[in-house]
Amino acid sequence: MYDVIIIGGGPAASAAAVYVARKKLKTVVITESFGGQSQVSDDIQNWIGEKSISGFDLAKKLEEHVRSFSDVVEVKMPERVLGVRSIKCNEATHVCDFEVKTEEGNIYEGKSMILAAGARRRKLGVPGEDAFNGKGVAYCSTCDAPVFAGKEVAVVGGGNAGLEAVVDLFPYAKKIYLLARGDALKGDPITQEKIKNHPQVEIIYNAETQEILGDKFVNGVRYKDVKTGEEKIIAVGGVFVEIGSVPNSEMAKDLVELDNYGQIKIDSKHASTSHPGVFAAGDITDDPYKQNNISAGDGVKAALAAYGYLQKRAKQSPAAEK
Amino acid sequence: MAKIYTTPSCVYCKMAKEFFAKHGIAYEEKNVAQDVSARDEMVQKSGQLGVPVIDIDGQIIIGFDQPRLAELLGIK
Repeated sequence: MYDVIIIGGGPAASAAAVYVARKKLKTVVITESFGGQSQVSDDIQNWIGEKSISGFDLAKKLEEHVRSFSDVVEVKMPERVLGVRSIKCNEATHVCDFEVKTEEGNIYEGKSMILAAGARRRKLGVPGEDAFNGKGVAYCSTCDAPVFAGKEVAVVGGGNAGLEAVVDLFPYAKKIYLLARGDALKGDPITQEKIKNHPQVEIIYNAETQEILGDKFVNGVRYKDVKTGEEKIIAVGGVFVEIGSVPNSEMAKDLVELDNYGQIKIDSKHASTSHPGVFAAGDITDDPYKQNNISAGDGVKAALAAYGYLQKRAKQSPAAEK
Repeated sequence: MAKIYTTPSCVYCKMAKEFFAKHGIAYEEKNVAQDVSARDEMVQKSGQLGVPVIDIDGQIIIGFDQPRLAELLGIK
């Protein structure tokens, strides 16, 4: 029986692990990898204290920091959580233990839990997307932009991620169509400036992607002009999907309250969820700012709140702590 | 001999190379951002427009699939 089960390996989970370790709580961290979503970022320039760090190096630093507490923190990696539930609940005190099941067939039990499994890329959900995944449909422009050298490609998404994908493709792609759903771009003005009026870029507004076309590899994308209802096909050899993220909260949907976007609702003062003893931090929550630094801070809150909860719990029902 | 097709900015490529280094596996690296013929070779072998692609004695692994790499290389 662990004091704390932490699910995730990004900045929120890592910060939580460091803080619970310093409280000498018996902890297990279950994660597929360290670093979170910015793991694939080439250059992070806003991680406080580092003018510039790659996602790869940030991930290593987080992992090293967490593993330096190996006396109290066990790391289970790579391991994927399938579901979490409460067990042995005391009806009078509302104190429960928690059980975590993983794809690897392991079961972990803990007195408290910190859900910090972050978010993953949102998919378009259109025909052809899965069939051509890796065959022209790409989700990591920093990784795969060079593979599309000399080709015409489409980027779907008018937010920051979409604009940055366009910039990543500048040195390689012959032509880049940017498909934005709205009638304006949403990303930072500084990046918008870089791509508007750029000779390689054609921005298509009000474009709703309908289908990815191809035979062996992608050879086109079909979209609908939402203003006119007209459907058009552009010939491209690649489609980069950059339309935001979805929280990895499915595992906890029967345990804690989620909002309409699937984000775990938290009281941001104490990182607490709708279930006593369960805390959440980072991009899995309804906190509005999806940022590494915020996630780290929220992870700290979750750790301190879990510590407070465990102390209270020990006083309330000392027998259960044996 | 293991062969890995990479781009310089690809994190999963770095992870795969670290995995090789950690387990003392010799490998040849092909940077497809610079080497167009290597890119075409990669696409032809794997049917993939994405890195990393790893070739271990003709067995093609797509992405940094650690369990499968470990299995093919006999790493426990």
